[in-house]
Amino acid sequence: MKLLVIEDEKELANDIVSYLADYTCEIAANYTQALEKVEIYTYDCILLDLTLPGGDGLRLLNVLKREKRNDGVIIISARNAIEDKIIGLTNGADDYIGKPFHLPELAARIYSVIRRKQFSNSNILDLNEMRVDLLSRKVFVAGAEVLLTKKELDLLLYFIGNKNKVISKGALAEHLSGDMADMFDSHAFVYAHIKNLKRKLIEAGYGNYLKNVYGTGYKWEI
Amino acid sequence: MKNLLDRNLKAYIIYALVVFLSSVPAYFLIMDFIWRSELHEHNEIVAFRAKERFKRLANDPAALHRSIETWNSIQPEAAIMPVNAMDEDSVYTIYREIRLAGHEELDRFHGLITYFIVGDQAFRITIETNIEESYETIAAITAVTAVFFFLLLGGFLLLNKKLSRRLWAPFHETVGKLEAYDLKSQTQILLPETNIIEFEALQAGIRKLISGNIAAYREQREFTENASHELQTPLAIVQSKLDLFLQTDGLTEAQSGIIEEANHSLSRVSRINRNLVLLAKIDNGQFAAEELLELLPVTRELSQEMEDFLAEKHIHLVLDAHSRGAVTGNRALVEIMLTNLFMNAIRHSPYESEIRISIFDNMIEVANSGTQPLPEDKLFKRFSAAAVHSTGTGLGLAIVRQVSLLYGWQVGYRFSDGMHRFTVGFAGGSET
Repeated sequence: MKLLVIEDEKELANDIVSYLADYTCEIAANYTQALEKVEIYTYDCILLDLTLPGGDGLRLLNVLKREKRNDGVIIISARNAIEDKIIGLTNGADDYIGKPFHLPELAARIYSVIRRKQFSNSNILDLNEMRVDLLSRKVFVAGAEVLLTKKELDLLLYFIGNKNKVISKGALAEHLSGDMADMFDSHAFVYAHIKNLKRKLIEAGYGNYLKNVYGTGYKWEI
Repeated sequence: MKNLLDRNLKAYIIYALVVFLSSVPAYFLIMDFIWRSELHEHNEIVAFRAKERFKRLANDPAALHRSIETWNSIQPEAAIMPVNAMDEDSVYTIYREIRLAGHEELDRFHGLITYFIVGDQAFRITIETNIEESYETIAAITAVTAVFFFLLLGGFLLLNKKLSRRLWAPFHETVGKLEAYDLKSQTQILLPETNIIEFEALQAGIRKLISGNIAAYREQREFTENASHELQTPLAIVQSKLDLFLQTDGLTEAQSGIIEEANHSLSRVSRINRNLVLLAKIDNGQFAAEELLELLPVTRELSQEMEDFLAEKHIHLVLDAHSRGAVTGNRALVEIMLTNLFMNAIRHSPYESEIRISIFDNMIEVANSGTQPLPEDKLFKRFSAAAVHSTGTGLGLAIVRQVSLLYGWQVGYRFSDGMHRFTVGFAGGSET
């Protein structure tokens, strides 16, 4: 899996690359570099910052669209405006994430975009004794369906996109309830959802892969 | 408040009144002087002629005596009397009652007393002529003056009305244009042409002021964009560092606790920044797209998103819909406004309490339990939260107010029956 990180902020680009160690990542720090790379190679997913030295990221989006490219594109932008989000998505981006973001959130979205792009007909994930049908959003353990709520499934997919990574409760809370999450001191509801998810999977016969780490975070070990 | 020209007019009218009033005695004195000197001349001519006639009778004393008697009987006021010696001529003016056509009236007479000698006898002759009474003269002059004064007054009023309409037309047009002007349009104002120096100066001033404002407005927009970019990029770096740090092998539980706390504060800073940018964008009117939407489905959707928070505090949400609550506004802004109102209620509700959302035709009310009224004047201001709360940004209700201001809605707060009641009235908004 090959990713292109188009981001002029070197620190941030490096952090993204080191978090996404499972992928082969390349970095472009300005518009010209990005255009060069995009014209020569294809990528599974392109992370695109909109405010770039040398040109607007939206122009690059138009280049990809004109050449009918199938690369997944996730806009990462400090321009959090709703209008920008809409413009980006209507111009062919697959997702939009505003700065600042949690790296696990980015990883989960990259995972989801790549799955959507490459397995558009049947999108079945096999994780040991578990099978997830991403299209019908159903989960099976040893052939039997496990009934999960929308939020439990969301959490499961989030963990699958962040295998073997420690994820803070705050990041999970923000994933589940967006802007509303940080209005509250306690993230007890995250704990409740995770507890239910764990219980349902274990009851269906799935191994205990979801670990509590350091008392504040969680990790999907597989 | 008074019209500028009316103010002028009043001064002119008072001045004209003073001039006209002082003209009355002046006219009278001049006319009286002319009257008197003319009548004096007349009296002298009459006296001269009479003297000449009588002098011709010097040789016939009987005829002279008869003539004087006849004269005296016809004109008792102009009597000819024999006197001992000649004297200087003298004049007098007298009011005398005379009987005329059956009714008495007071008349003024101008008289001349003069002397002449026939033979060796001196005579005194008095000639009187009726002169117009001064009070009648004054009355006539006053009447004529009054007529002219009112003619002048009427003319002033009429001219003033006509002039004010014509003269001030460019001014009123300018005021109308200014009232209708919207800085958001980012275009220079189109003012009416004028060839009056004062108005041209005013318009030049306005044009200068507006182009300054347009530039300032543009700068503010750019600043908003730049500020959000400049702040959000370092925030993103700190966030990614913390996420990476958490992946370090061999972290202790205490260290990971520190990361979690840092994360928590960081997300609060991020949200304050996002909200400040949002407020600036609302101020700048950057949410142009408006649509007709219904509060009830939006509220239902939001309450689903909030269910985790409600469940966590065991809060019972009652949705009391008397209407579907149709309003016109930007969907994103209305959602943000409602979210802030609802989250505010959840955040300040005690455990195991009730939140009641009531939707009426032109109003939505969000009520949550409380113990005492909150200071209403501070409630909707930025960073002046009534209750200091560690997780709030201090901007939630300010955003509610800002969105309401944008659409001319009324935010309100009252405390009754042990509930804090926040309302947004949509009077002026559209109805179903």
